[in-house]
Amino acid sequence: MQRNALAGHAWERGQRSAATRGPLAALIVLSAIPYAARSDWTPGVEAGVRHDNNVGNAQSSRDIVADSIVSARLSIFQLFPLGDSYSVTVAGDLGGESFHRLTGLSNASVDGAFALKKKWGLGAFAPWARIGVSAARSDYQDSYRNAWIYRATLASGQRFDERWNLWMEYAFERRAARAQAEEVPGLSGDAFSQSSHNVAVDVEYSLGERTFFALGLLGRHGDVESTTARSAKIYHASLALAEDPAFGPEAYAYRLTGTTFGFRVGINYSPTPHSLLGCGFERLETHGDGGNSYTKSVPEITWDYRF
Amino acid sequence: MLVKDHHGKLIADAVVLATPSDPKAAQRAKPPPDAVDQVDKQFVPYVKPVFMGSKVRFPNSDHIRHQVYSFSPAKKFELPLYSGTDAPPVVFDKPGIVVLGCNIHDWMVGYIYVSETPFFAKTEAAGRATIVDIPPGEYTVRVWHPSMEHGEETTARRITVSAEGSASIEWDLSLKPTFRVPRVSGAGSPGYP
Repeated sequence: MQRNALAGHAWERGQRSAATRGPLAALIVLSAIPYAARSDWTPGVEAGVRHDNNVGNAQSSRDIVADSIVSARLSIFQLFPLGDSYSVTVAGDLGGESFHRLTGLSNASVDGAFALKKKWGLGAFAPWARIGVSAARSDYQDSYRNAWIYRATLASGQRFDERWNLWMEYAFERRAARAQAEEVPGLSGDAFSQSSHNVAVDVEYSLGERTFFALGLLGRHGDVESTTARSAKIYHASLALAEDPAFGPEAYAYRLTGTTFGFRVGINYSPTPHSLLGCGFERLETHGDGGNSYTKSVPEITWDYRF
Repeated sequence: MLVKDHHGKLIADAVVLATPSDPKAAQRAKPPPDAVDQVDKQFVPYVKPVFMGSKVRFPNSDHIRHQVYSFSPAKKFELPLYSGTDAPPVVFDKPGIVVLGCNIHDWMVGYIYVSETPFFAKTEAAGRATIVDIPPGEYTVRVWHPSMEHGEETTARRITVSAEGSASIEWDLSLKPTFRVPRVSGAGSPGYP
């Protein structure tokens, strides 16, 4: 495939908005951290490296492209306790991802979130529920992928003791991107917009004072985007189709309906009370309409710091 | 007094208590006020021994509000959200162990040991504790630590303190592994759990 060699051209072809806005916004947030660290606002920093063995969600081996991604995120939030039972969290973060090969997918994002949480009782072991909404804007190196992402979540959980923590979450996510020109008359060019229902069940288990194990089960139903060469099989099942030059000149993104199941496992270690090193692995299996199924595996190393 | 674990590691935050055989010797004037601070979203000190009847303040040196509580039978209390030194002192009038928590920051945990005897001390990082101003006489000496595997009764020793001299004791404690609520957890997005 010429795809890998051509992917780098995305840098020149794409708009440079993400590249310029990201560092500027990061500078603003970084300059605010010393103030925020002394106020009710709690800043945090996250960084990670992951390897995605199927970035384009392709079924056929000839279409599969793997890549390594470096990510960073600056976050800030404030928790407003409303008496014993309720609290409101206002949060914002600024993130960026750099793709090693598929540079057109490198992006910067800004996110704002609001959540209301109720605890039934005092203390760490009281059950809780949380409802939240968030809105994010992601700007890609290849700007045709730019999108607004809206998310509404409902979560509930309980820490049973110092060792066991369990929670579950439902989320509806809407990703709104600009529709591209129709490649085929009558078939939408809006391949990068998606709606999906997501559920997750997560459990953490402490192995020691500084180490805990995490396991998550994931389910998702809704739109998926699969990037492949032209293919009748995927074409007949697709709801939308658009060129996807980040993967090469012959690549097309198809929007399908699909159901995903997966899991993630990880082990986390706190070298200091404020920081957490994580090593995780995620495996996802998606069954798309028309027999267009694919899998992906994503090992990841992360570092979190919260003031 | 020296406190170690079974591997010879010196143990900090162990409370050493000397109970006189003569109950009259344990009587003491009104105990002085004490304090447990909150610094960087942690209780400081982690373990605080106090004499029964002590008034303890909970100043908040952080720039965020805390909500300190305890469910322990020895003292159930809650200090509604506050910052600075606004919270009223809490009187610890029953002996026992009081586990402290913060309703906002789940990983915050601390201990107050409410002692029936005025003769106590806490080990420092080097595992040593010294009980000063102890009158001569017969004493039962015990040690307590938040992670000890067996009850403090199993550590009891009888000693005699003479008018001129002092007494030294060493303990080898068996400690349980400790598990603390992590400060950074996946459940906390956005915000802490």
